[in-house]
Amino acid sequence: MQAERLSHASTIGSHVIGDAIVVAALVGWWAVARHLPEFILPGPLPVAQRLIELFITPDFLWNVFTSAWRVLLSIAAALLIGGGLAFLAHGVPSLAAVVDERIKPVLNSFPSIGWAILAAIWFNPGSFGVIFVETAILIPFCLINIAEGLRNIDREIMEMGRSFTHHRLRIFWRLTLPLLVPYGLSATRIAYGVAWKIALVAELLGATSGLGYLMLQAQTAADSTTFLACCFAIVLIFVAGERLVIVPLERRFARR
Amino acid sequence: MAATDIAPAPSLPRRGPVAGKLVAHLFTLCCLAAWEAASLVAPSYLLPGPVPVAERLARFLTSERDLGHLGASLFHVAAAITISFVIGSLLALIPYYLPMLRLAIERRIGPFLNSFSAIGWTLLSIMWFGVTSLTVIFAISAVLVPFALVNMAAGLADIDGESLEMAQSFTRNRARIFVRVIVPSLYPFIFATLRIMFGVSWKVTLTAELFGGNAGLGYMINMARQDFDTATIFAAIILIIGFVHCMDRYLLAPLQAKVSHHYAS
Repeated sequence: MQAERLSHASTIGSHVIGDAIVVAALVGWWAVARHLPEFILPGPLPVAQRLIELFITPDFLWNVFTSAWRVLLSIAAALLIGGGLAFLAHGVPSLAAVVDERIKPVLNSFPSIGWAILAAIWFNPGSFGVIFVETAILIPFCLINIAEGLRNIDREIMEMGRSFTHHRLRIFWRLTLPLLVPYGLSATRIAYGVAWKIALVAELLGATSGLGYLMLQAQTAADSTTFLACCFAIVLIFVAGERLVIVPLERRFARR
Repeated sequence: MAATDIAPAPSLPRRGPVAGKLVAHLFTLCCLAAWEAASLVAPSYLLPGPVPVAERLARFLTSERDLGHLGASLFHVAAAITISFVIGSLLALIPYYLPMLRLAIERRIGPFLNSFSAIGWTLLSIMWFGVTSLTVIFAISAVLVPFALVNMAAGLADIDGESLEMAQSFTRNRARIFVRVIVPSLYPFIFATLRIMFGVSWKVTLTAELFGGNAGLGYMINMARQDFDTATIFAAIILIIGFVHCMDRYLLAPLQAKVSHHYAS
């Protein structure tokens, strides 16, 4: 009982410390920003104000929407292509070396800005180029995760499946896919993070809309307040997507 | 997020059947042939052929100026990995020794660092430090810290309680326990962390150098882009792919496999 009370107290204590650190960081930011010009570091209040303003501006919301659908479409495309490559390597053994020793290393080591520059050279500015770049960056993450899932599939379950039916499509639909769901979800989670954090670079070079484009505009205009507000908007959107979509999905499939 | 992923100790490459190798080489040849064919149709500023790119690559490897850019990139990567590894490990060690701070670090600082975009750090550091190496190193370090934090925290959580207890029965000197027990049991995680950081750093370095650097391969690519010198862009990309892949496969992976094998219980 006493131990319980103690642990309860320490939980409250660590919550207090956790929130105190956030407050201290904000106060520190405010104190530093007071002595610096606004284009170097605006204070937390103007940034928060701009953040709220941004979220009620239709133009900004349109850019958020543009970035979000590009990210989602790229994740879907990367899952399909990466998953397809993983299945190809798994199902056709003579092609395993092609996927594992040629396609995977090249995609995995390809610098993301390389894709962005090539897309800027090859395509007109617009959504297609951005989705091309984001997909190309995300494919290796999906490929590696789904290949790992295929490698870990329980052979005995598959054997049992085969003893019930010879219908390969049925086995694939009823056994392989459900067994791959956790790996697919983990691929989605990783791709989602990388898309918002790294692949957004696509919008710096080959786009005339989206959050990346907005950030570059703000930075070029030395409008640090809008720039920082955009950065925090991305943090909020990223966390919201993770909490509202990815975590519930993982919880739902983990329970099965 | 990739940060939550711990690099598994690599298994040694499978010795595929000869047919598989043959198909792989055939695939490479087909890709080169397709590239050559496409380059005959497309103008050279859109897609230079494999031969001009190979020539540019050869010139790259003999030019002091170009190698200097490679050296600058390597310096940026090495400096950023060192700095972020130290900061990330310290952040991971704080809640290990002061459990009261666990929530502050794992639920406040970690997620914030983890969800701040790489472009945000890059453009922000340009505003703060101008176009210098410091900008590049700061931006890469900021992106890498959460990777180090998550992986090292996982390593600390994985330490065997019994061996710690045994160590405590031998000595009360905490520094001694740290050096003799905690650090060695972290070795596999340290290598996994460094390997992940190495991979991620190259994805971010060029971006940081392109926007905020005055040296490095990213800067070189940016110059080439302005001159429509696509052959140089291709040569730089191929060089990076080759370098990153060879480092990972022939140095980091065997090293990690060795360490994991040695320290695995």
